[in-house]
Amino acid sequence: MMVSDVRLLFQCVAITLALALTGCGKSAPQPPGIAGDPERGKLLLRQYGCGACHTIPGVAAAKGNVGPPLEAIAARVYLAGVLPNTPANMTRWIRAPQEIDPRTAMPNLQVSESHAQDMVAYLYRLR
Amino acid sequence: MRLKLRSVILLALGLVTGALAAGVIVLYAGFYNVAATHQHFRPTFWLLKTGLRESVERHARGIHVPTLTDPALAQRGLDLYSVQCVQCHGAPGIAPQPFALGLTPVPTNLAHSVRERSSAELYWVLKNGIKMTGMPAWEFRLSEPDLWSVVAFLRELPYLAPEQYVSRVNALRSEPDVNRSQTPISSAGSKFVSDPNVQPAAPGDAERGKRAIEQYACVTCHRIPGIVGAHAPVGPPLERIATRQLIAGFIANTPENMVRWLREPQTMHPRTAMPDLGVTARDASDIAAYLYTLR
Repeated sequence: MMVSDVRLLFQCVAITLALALTGCGKSAPQPPGIAGDPERGKLLLRQYGCGACHTIPGVAAAKGNVGPPLEAIAARVYLAGVLPNTPANMTRWIRAPQEIDPRTAMPNLQVSESHAQDMVAYLYRLR
Repeated sequence: MRLKLRSVILLALGLVTGALAAGVIVLYAGFYNVAATHQHFRPTFWLLKTGLRESVERHARGIHVPTLTDPALAQRGLDLYSVQCVQCHGAPGIAPQPFALGLTPVPTNLAHSVRERSSAELYWVLKNGIKMTGMPAWEFRLSEPDLWSVVAFLRELPYLAPEQYVSRVNALRSEPDVNRSQTPISSAGSKFVSDPNVQPAAPGDAERGKRAIEQYACVTCHRIPGIVGAHAPVGPPLERIATRQLIAGFIANTPENMVRWLREPQTMHPRTAMPDLGVTARDASDIAAYLYTLR
């Protein structure tokens, strides 16, 4: 009786652990409004030199400290302190920052719509 | 074997008695500081925060959420919010009233809370309030549809730019309705006039600045290293702010500009969501001194 109880306990613990682990392994579902390819976006963030001004987790050499760090940018409420953070607004901001806020030091880097969407897909993974 | 077991039991008993005695001494000697100007210790803060989160999560289970997509419902919620909630929680670009900045815990920035909480949880908090936080229960103050209207508005709050909030509230106030307050609001928020004769102590006192940061509700929007409970991602995180080149994305990061930005952000950038919190010259200089320790 004792032995089977202990075995049952171990089985429960093992199943719980397995469930917890598979749960952690699952990638978070993409939030609505995200169309781009996050892996490509990560590459593009490097190609456009975003890291010269921003610290971006996961992007090689992106350690800039000119503008704000982009850690957990998906959870940020406002972009540039003025624009509510939605995937559509972030795409607009990346493409034409000075149209949204003429004072910003963020330059217009001539990012295409599809490139911007890929970047947004990557940045929205940073929670 | 028996001897060993006995000594283990004795040791355990001794430890429990010791811990209890220590607890009683700390409690009755009044060692724990209840001043609102002293934030909880990190472990206490964590304990309270976790308890609150889990309790709300549990008690909100099984609440049936009605359809909240009717724009008229959110509009009614905005009306209530702009009269009953804004004093403590502020709004996009609008600071809470001075008394609310002095509360511990400081009222949260709801644009952030809303993104973390379900509608059922928001409704539950609104209806029941939260003990020991200053959040009142609205169950006996608002009707059931009104409670849900506030939730409907809160769902929109994170997606409102400061100027949109102001224009929507002003549009409401310009409609003739005797039940509403007729004063239009300005995006400059509450003007808490500080004594202009108080000169900043130069250079600022970083230790005092650290306490001032808690008293001006900076933690409700910014992640700030070294400050307990400063994790909110409403505005940019302030890690390494001492070496950041620009403030707000366009101002050169010099001590003078930092103090000015802390004191009158909306004079420097009329559209910023950062509100004018009525920071005095001395407090701004001390806050800047603390921020410049973050390299």
